[in-house]
Amino acid sequence: MLSVCPYFHVHQPYRVKSYRVFDIGNDTEYFNDTSDTDLNNRRIVEKVAEKSYRPMNALLEQLLHDHPEFRFSLSFSGTALDQFEAYAPDVLASFQRLVATGRVEILADTYHHSLAFFYSIPEFERQVAMHAARIYELFNYQPRVFRNTELSYRNDLAKWCEDHGYIGIMAEGWEPILGWRSPNYVYQPVGCGGIKVLLKNYKLSDDLAFRFGNKEWESWPLSTETYTDWINRHHSDGNTINLFMDYETFGEHQWADTGIFDFWQAFPKTFLRHSDNSFKTATETIESYPSVGEINVPSVLTWADTDRDLTAWTGNDIQKAAIEATYSMEKNVLATDDSILIENWRKLQTSDHFYYMCTKWSNDGDVHAYFSPYQSPYDAYIAFMNALSDLQLRVQSHLARAATTVSAPSVIRRVWQRIWLLVKTSLLVAKRWLQALRKKIVRP
Amino acid sequence: MHTDFKLIFRRVLLWVEAIVAGSTLQLTLGIYIMKALTFAWDYPPETTGGLGIACHGLVSELTAIDVEVIFVLPRRQKIQSSGARFIFADIIPPELETFALPGPYQHSSALLHFLNSDGTLAVYSRQLIEATHDFAAHATIIAKNEDFDIIHAHDWTSYLAGIAAKRVSGKPLVLHVHATGFDQAGGGTVDPSIYAIEQVAFKEADCIITVSELTKTTIVSKHGVDAQKVAVVHNGTEVGEPVRHVPTLQGWRKQGKKIILYHGRITIQKGVDYFVLAARKVIDHNPNVVFVISGKGDMEAQIMQQVGALGLSQHVLFAGALWYEDRDRMYQSVDLVVMPSVSEPFGLVPLEAMRHGTPALISKQSGVAEVTTHVLKVDFWDVDEMANKILATLRYPVLQQQLRTEGKLELLRHTWHVAALKVRAVYDRVLQLVQRLAS
Repeated sequence: MLSVCPYFHVHQPYRVKSYRVFDIGNDTEYFNDTSDTDLNNRRIVEKVAEKSYRPMNALLEQLLHDHPEFRFSLSFSGTALDQFEAYAPDVLASFQRLVATGRVEILADTYHHSLAFFYSIPEFERQVAMHAARIYELFNYQPRVFRNTELSYRNDLAKWCEDHGYIGIMAEGWEPILGWRSPNYVYQPVGCGGIKVLLKNYKLSDDLAFRFGNKEWESWPLSTETYTDWINRHHSDGNTINLFMDYETFGEHQWADTGIFDFWQAFPKTFLRHSDNSFKTATETIESYPSVGEINVPSVLTWADTDRDLTAWTGNDIQKAAIEATYSMEKNVLATDDSILIENWRKLQTSDHFYYMCTKWSNDGDVHAYFSPYQSPYDAYIAFMNALSDLQLRVQSHLARAATTVSAPSVIRRVWQRIWLLVKTSLLVAKRWLQALRKKIVRP
Repeated sequence: MHTDFKLIFRRVLLWVEAIVAGSTLQLTLGIYIMKALTFAWDYPPETTGGLGIACHGLVSELTAIDVEVIFVLPRRQKIQSSGARFIFADIIPPELETFALPGPYQHSSALLHFLNSDGTLAVYSRQLIEATHDFAAHATIIAKNEDFDIIHAHDWTSYLAGIAAKRVSGKPLVLHVHATGFDQAGGGTVDPSIYAIEQVAFKEADCIITVSELTKTTIVSKHGVDAQKVAVVHNGTEVGEPVRHVPTLQGWRKQGKKIILYHGRITIQKGVDYFVLAARKVIDHNPNVVFVISGKGDMEAQIMQQVGALGLSQHVLFAGALWYEDRDRMYQSVDLVVMPSVSEPFGLVPLEAMRHGTPALISKQSGVAEVTTHVLKVDFWDVDEMANKILATLRYPVLQQQLRTEGKLELLRHTWHVAALKVRAVYDRVLQLVQRLAS
């Protein structure tokens, strides 16, 4: 028995326009570029929708229809969902149709695709709650398996997930962590009781995500038969092949002319020819297989670059300065209680901003350059810091204003908001708790 | 026998190094040391721009990798020591001192005035273009008397000498393009005499070395040169840790002022006027900044007027041409060096600044932009963005810090040694080609 667990990550950041020093104090819009460059968020979303989301969703819908055994998992950043809603509502609708089949699972995530867990756990928790609410609102769905930004993972994150009712979490299947062991089994995070971890098979995932269209690659062009054969070799040494990749692999990172769509068109059929093969969602995978051992990850593991750590986001001085400046604002921003200021701050937490400032121009440099809308890491840093400086200024003046005019109505409003938030959160927790309880009763 | 082995061993080492340097050109296993007859217009310490400095850097490293360089200069002058043997063509009678020998970056009709050794004006004045013809005439004689394998001529003032040497010796000619007439014109009308010389020379050359892809594009598109004939060898720079000097402009520093430097000739090609426009925008935003313009040139009066007209006299300082210790001291004393060139085939200034630990902001219209990551880049005409980046550098100290530390590391990839290996590979390829054609 061997199953494949395909999981595709859907994300679009709000890219900061080329915001200049002169704009500080004069322009409160950081993300509204309208140029012909890749800083124009609407333009990018429309482009990727055309190249990737629309054709691939149509294909996935067809596959779900043709193969009752076919299933997969998705994760969405809230920033992507917001932009679909604004710029490409039909894309959002097509995702909703996929999820409505009941064979497509959605994973939990941070709303703003941030690295908040490593800088502020309270902020991380707020973003996870926001994400859950948004997913529930759009898809009527409650995720049970967690994935963190850039597949970042650490022992304490797994513990957090277990404590908050998740049954599984995803991570990179990296040899230094695994040692001699295979990523093709389900494991248990060290120090945890019930939660399980699914490890990405990065070789087979990257065959599709990175190497598929590379004509220099010895396996180019890759046929579904060959690929299925590679997977089938694991019948003797694994339960699950976890294929984790960016959704944008289809049509955007690998253009249509590489044959990536044709590959997926044919893959389920080829793969299912073997009677012992099946597709599973993340939850099904976790529930189907027992844990075979413990995974210990004391320092951050991600799915990026050859280092598999956070250095692509926080490796150099400008990145560290920018991310620290962002999180150091937390107390003040939240104190304003101004939803616009807080939302702007959260949009600036999206990890992509820091990724664009990366200067590791060695082996991974070209990958960074390909994924950056800025002409240089320094351009990215300057635009970001200028926008952040403006936000700091707005927060300061807001607080100064508030300090001089603390009126009775505003106090009442604030107290009321707190109560309302408390009620909302406890309702959500109670709901999940009830659900877990029901599951336990149904399957003792 | 022993020396033979040593030589072969050195060849192998060179070959390995050339591969490491990214050169795909194969080196031949010649037994002799290659001799290059080189023509250039000036040489340190008496130099008027980057050309002399580049020649010195290249020649010093070429002589270290088994190339014997015979370096021909048009007139008698002091010479900074390097491994080359120098010959002075004496196009000006040696008993006359030049008042000012125009540099290669001037109009072809620029006049040369000569002084007697007692300082009185001699009745001997010629146009620059005539002097280049004189240089060519003398080159014929030198080429007849010298023994060499290849000819290497730097920039248009030496092209005619290179051609003359080729005609008399039959040896292959390599031209080295540090700048073209188009760069000099800075988008204006190109000097037709310079263009004509370039056209003839590019046709006659066996191979052309340009200092950047940018310059290669220029000569391919504007002079109609076959791209196959062109090899790009980016300039190098000195990379050793420089001597620290006592800083200058401390008065302003003490007042908490930030200092921005322009260093280079004050000509249309260099975009100093855009620098001044950006200065105005910076001052509007942050009056605590001082701009230093170091250099001389034909646009000096115009720039001074512009500074006055924009009301910047309090904020802009003209430091005159700074060389050597004075220049280094200036590099070390400022917060940012700006190279706003309209057209810059290469541009050594940012690399020099990086060596001294000062970050640089350079125009995207420069060859050096092709090989540097840890500098700020801007389109020369985008004055707003130039001002934005100047202000950002002053505003975010960590930006300066990272440009400084990463920049120093990056410099290590741009040594003259790397450039010399590539030039050597070009020599070898040209000689192979000529031999093949002969047999």
